[in-house]
Amino acid sequence: MAALTIENAVKNYGQGDILKGINISIESGEFLILVGPSGCGKSTLMNMIAGLETVTSGRILMGDDDVTNVQPKDRDIAMVFQSYALYPNMSVAENIAFGLEIRKVPKHERAQEVERVAKLLQIEHLLDRKPGQLSGGQRQRVAMGRALARRPRLYLFDEPLSNLDAKLRVEMRTEIKKLHQNLGTTIVYVTHDQIEAMTLADRIAVMKDGIVQQFGTPQEIYNDPNNQFVAGFMGSPAMNFIPAKLAGTAAAVTVEVTDANGAVQQLPVPNSAALASQIGNEVVLGLRPEKITEPLPHKEADPMVTHLPMKVLVTEPTGADTMVVSELNGTQVDCRLGPRFDVTPGAAADLMVDMSLAVFFDKATGERIDR
Amino acid sequence: MVEAPMTVTRRAARLGLYAILAAVAFIYLMPVWVMLITSLKDVEEIRSGNLLSLPSSLNFDAWVTAWGSACAGSSCEGISSYFWNSFQIVIPAVIISTLLGALNGYVLSFWRFRGSELMFGLLLVGCFIPLQVILLPMARTLAFFGLANSTPGLVLVHVIVGTGFTTMFFRNFYIGLPQELIKAAKLDGAGFFFIFRRVVLPLSTPIIVVTVIWQFTQIWNDFLLGIVYSGAETQPVTVALNNLVNTSFGGKQYNVDMAAALIAALPTLIVYMVAGKYFVKGLTAGAVKG
Repeated sequence: MAALTIENAVKNYGQGDILKGINISIESGEFLILVGPSGCGKSTLMNMIAGLETVTSGRILMGDDDVTNVQPKDRDIAMVFQSYALYPNMSVAENIAFGLEIRKVPKHERAQEVERVAKLLQIEHLLDRKPGQLSGGQRQRVAMGRALARRPRLYLFDEPLSNLDAKLRVEMRTEIKKLHQNLGTTIVYVTHDQIEAMTLADRIAVMKDGIVQQFGTPQEIYNDPNNQFVAGFMGSPAMNFIPAKLAGTAAAVTVEVTDANGAVQQLPVPNSAALASQIGNEVVLGLRPEKITEPLPHKEADPMVTHLPMKVLVTEPTGADTMVVSELNGTQVDCRLGPRFDVTPGAAADLMVDMSLAVFFDKATGERIDR
Repeated sequence: MVEAPMTVTRRAARLGLYAILAAVAFIYLMPVWVMLITSLKDVEEIRSGNLLSLPSSLNFDAWVTAWGSACAGSSCEGISSYFWNSFQIVIPAVIISTLLGALNGYVLSFWRFRGSELMFGLLLVGCFIPLQVILLPMARTLAFFGLANSTPGLVLVHVIVGTGFTTMFFRNFYIGLPQELIKAAKLDGAGFFFIFRRVVLPLSTPIIVVTVIWQFTQIWNDFLLGIVYSGAETQPVTVALNNLVNTSFGGKQYNVDMAAALIAALPTLIVYMVAGKYFVKGLTAGAVKG
């Protein structure tokens, strides 16, 4: 059964629609991430799910119940805020028990629940402190504890990690994933960080300009993006967009690139059938950096793989990989090489291009044209 | 060396600053000092002596008279009963107007509705309407409700006059509180009054202190509303003081007048001394965040 269904949700503040007909549905126990650049409407959508913003038109359902016009306090939702929003005048234990107290849970049960949650989040030693005496990471845990204590039907996380430093953010990310795996809760999580989205989600809704650009699993979003925006937003470093011309025959479409020696090379495309009608057209080739590598012996036989002499402009060793900035068809491209492969900036290197997951976009609209 | 002249000018500037401060403090404190020493002299000493001369002995007779037996109008019972009258007016009026202001501020900050900004604007206008304008209509209103010349009537007037200010104080303070706190409480399942009582009020201490001091001072020191709407039995101390000073049998008893004036001023003085620090702190806290 769908735990949360959003049907055609529209939000309008009087000057045009902020959200333009959102349709999302997730199953019980799923982890949904709403991701997009600031101003895309993801926080508005979350507030509408919480009941903190009214829905201009459309419906929101939890299970089979239409909650579109239900007050937030009656929705059985818990939310973790970016600023944590801990009650400053209450101790950690009181913060966690507040929602239970409102629901008139007997005192000893409240104490048990606080203990259970504190143990789960390892904040037992902090229970008597006030939020002002806690560090950022500790506050984050308490905010999660407050949400967990009530065992609501749905958890909302509004950019919960963005106020933490980089190291703590990664730790808490793992923690949240572990909690989700252990408790099987249904979570909606808003972030602008595509790495958080990829690592945490069962399903991702990539949003821009009040529209869901793509809704799918992280793998679908990463490997099979709907359009150039989704392809560019997800993944770091971002996907390379190379302007190129389609050539070849209807049975074997190719894409033309100019290598470091000025020679035009034909790269194979994975789905010729869809692109046959576009032969001769200028298109945008989308190629992830990890698909341009040093020659890998085990891939030599792959028909989608081509050797290409490419000019090395800059090398950026990260330890695990060496990122190389190169050039194709007049555009800078990022390549991900193994750390042991020696390249010299300024010289040409023999690289390997794997076209098996290459995607193609319309030059004008940015929409996918190869499926 | 290079800095020496700078230091000299700065020291001079600092000295000048202190001189001005001392002069201003002197101007403000002089009358209080004269009142105090005059209240401790007897009438004979006042007449024969210098205004600034110290009393020959500490003589509290004038204070006792002012408290218990000085004549104001036709009654000669001192200002003690009027002193308590003032408390009977001030205490309920301060409590009610502060609570109303807190509730209004809470609604105007966290439960906005269509027209709530206009509502706030109108309340602000209410703060700055000269009191003389409302004297007659208010008198008619009090008569209509049967509250003319009564303590509840005066309390009502002070609550109405004060609520504009208290609302402004609380609203400007609450605007600086994070909205997410209220959202969190809503999602925790708390209702309107529960959030007010358990989340918002406990965070309001600084602004409550400011409002209470402000309202206490305003209402205690009020003369106009007191003289217009009080009866002979319900006069506040400010009105009684005026009557006392204007009543004279034989010679003017300056020592009694001064003692009575000091007694009447004492409560506000004490409030400032006890809570003045919070007053400044609370005002600036609201100002910076708002």
